[in-house]
Amino acid sequence: RSLSSGSEGESRLARVLRERFPRASSIRVVDISGGCGAMYEVHVESEEFRDKRTVQQHQMVNQALSEEIKHMHGLRIFTSTPKP
Amino acid sequence: MSAALRAGWRRLGAAALRGRAGRPLSQGQAAAGDSGGAEGGGGGSGSREAVERLVREHPVVVFMKGSPAQPLCGFSNAVVQILRLHGVEDYRAHDVLQDPDLRQGIKNYSNWPTIPQVYLNGEFVGGCDILLQMHQNGDLVEELKKLGIRSALLDAEKDQEKK
Repeated sequence: RSLSSGSEGESRLARVLRERFPRASSIRVVDISGGCGAMYEVHVESEEFRDKRTVQQHQMVNQALSEEIKHMHGLRIFTSTPKP
Repeated sequence: MSAALRAGWRRLGAAALRGRAGRPLSQGQAAAGDSGGAEGGGGGSGSREAVERLVREHPVVVFMKGSPAQPLCGFSNAVVQILRLHGVEDYRAHDVLQDPDLRQGIKNYSNWPTIPQVYLNGEFVGGCDILLQMHQNGDLVEELKKLGIRSALLDAEKDQEKK
C-alpha cells in the first residue's frame, strides 16, 4: 500500500486528521516532497491541544497518523491552539 | 523509497543494512518501519535497558542520522546547527544509521516514529521541529540553563547591547 502522491495524499491525510481531531479549528496538509507523497507538513490548530506540552501535541498527531507515517520518508508537525 | 523497495531491504536482513554508512541528504527525518518489527533487539543495543543507559549518559543526548561532523539528513543537521548556535558542542550523538537495532529501539523507547530525537537530562524533548520552536521562543536557553549550560546566545546578546 503506497501513499498517494500530491493532492490525493494531502486530502487523505487531512481527512484522517479531521476524524481524529473533531474539534480542530484548522487543518492544513502540504506535500513537501515535490508531489511524491514521501514527505508532508501538517498544521493542526485545535482546542484539544490546550494546556498540553508541544511534544504531547505532536505525539497526538503521530498517533493519529501512525499508519500513514509508516509509508512516509518524513513528517513535519506544527500544532497550535486557537486564540481564545 | 517505495514500500516494495523497503520490503526488499527487510528481506536482505539487518546484517546487510549494517555498514551502510549513509543515505542521501534528501531522505530527511526517517519514518518508522525500516526494520519492521515492534521489538527492539531483546537485550541488544535497541533494548529498553540499553537505550535507557544511553539517554542518561550525558545531559544532552541526540539520536540522529550521521554524526555532528557529518550529518546525513537535513533534519538531523538542523538539530546539530541549533545546538552549535547555542554553543553546545559537548554532547552525545548516536548515529542510528550505524545500528538498525538502536534505530528501532529508540523509536520504541520514546514511542516516537522519527529521527532525530533529542534528550535533555534523560528526558525526551522532541525532534527537529520542536527543537527549532524551542530555539525560536527562548525555551531552549531556559532548558539549557536548567542543565547548567549557559547558551552562547546569551553572550551574543550582551555583545549586541554593548555596541
